[in-house]
Amino acid sequence: MANHGKKRFSITAAGDEPGVLSRVSQSPAVRRTKQAASDAAFVAKKLLRSTGKAAWIAGTTFLVLVVPLVVAMDREQQINELESHQASILGTPPPALQKS
Amino acid sequence: MAQPAPTDTKLDEKVDYFNLPCPIPFEELHREAMMSLKPDLFEGMRFDFTKMLNQKFSLNHSVLMGPTEIPSQSTETIKIPTANYEFGATFIDHPRLLLWGRILTDGRLNARVKCDVSENLTFKANAQLTNEPHMSHGMVNFDYKGKDYRTQFQLGNGALLGASYIQSVTRNLSLGGEVFWAGQHRKSGVGYAARYNTDKWIYTSHGSNISCATCNPSGGIRNGFSHTQVASTGMVLASYVQKVSEKVSLASELMCNYLSRDVTASFGYDYILRQCRLRGKIDSNGCCAAFLEERLNMGLNFILSAELDHKKKDYKFGFGLTVGE
Repeated sequence: MANHGKKRFSITAAGDEPGVLSRVSQSPAVRRTKQAASDAAFVAKKLLRSTGKAAWIAGTTFLVLVVPLVVAMDREQQINELESHQASILGTPPPALQKS
Repeated sequence: MAQPAPTDTKLDEKVDYFNLPCPIPFEELHREAMMSLKPDLFEGMRFDFTKMLNQKFSLNHSVLMGPTEIPSQSTETIKIPTANYEFGATFIDHPRLLLWGRILTDGRLNARVKCDVSENLTFKANAQLTNEPHMSHGMVNFDYKGKDYRTQFQLGNGALLGASYIQSVTRNLSLGGEVFWAGQHRKSGVGYAARYNTDKWIYTSHGSNISCATCNPSGGIRNGFSHTQVASTGMVLASYVQKVSEKVSLASELMCNYLSRDVTASFGYDYILRQCRLRGKIDSNGCCAAFLEERLNMGLNFILSAELDHKKKDYKFGFGLTVGE
């Protein structure tokens, strides 16, 4: 008799009915949240992996296609500057600035 | 007062249909696009030495060490390190005669002859002989150049017969066609081509239906076999080259194989600077490549080649030195 009233509020499982904690953890809301969290983790892992792959491909392609170009154009510019500097020292203005 | 001659050179005004320039040969239609998009990529170390004995005659020694791919059935690429030495001789008597030969240590011999029989008729022959049976081939071409057209007749082993004709239609546009028949594979085909060039850009397109082997003698010597354009059935190729400045040109090419539903697009650049020449290209098959030739000194060139194939995860890098003019 005294047990009837207390049965619903016991925390741990007593008798046949599950306790509050396990009922809460089996309720649909918590289950859905857990499923959503594991889905989110799965998607985040996939996204990270594919971002990593894309970054690798972009990085190596940039290294092969763009870096030699930048280096070559920089050297070309240096040579041009040196030439124009030399031309101006020797007294003849560089051909681009010659008038008449 | 004499009438002005119809050779009117004003650009947008009337086109003088009797005075059109001679078009470039049919097999070299894609020449500018090929120069940018298909540099001579290699893997390993390469050393080339050219010695001119005379103004007309030169000898050439070349060493190539590196992995070479073996065609394999599975998706993996199998590479075996090989090294070979190639010796060659070239005789050029500029306008009339060119003789060129190369022999490798694995027994392959390549030879080319080009001879101007008369002012308009040219005879070309090219042969590749190997140790393996049934892998040697040779081809003979007769080219006739008219005032504004060119025709070519080809005869190759394996009963290969081909003919092509290209005509300048206006000052910038030239159209051409080709037919060929391969007896060995019992295949025949027809192709059409168009080329439009201005000072700044060039557009070419070429469609063919069941093509087989047309030996293109102007490319691909490094691999040891003369470049055979073996497209499978039904191919359309369009290319566009734009000369952005006198140092830079950009090229793009689209190749559609409409029977095997295979489409490839590629873009490339070609920078010709004073000390170096840099070519790069990127493909829709996930392949990007770069080729750098740098002039270290008079007659001394340093070459670097890189090719990344992201789909097959195959990376090839090479370096080399070229000595001699």
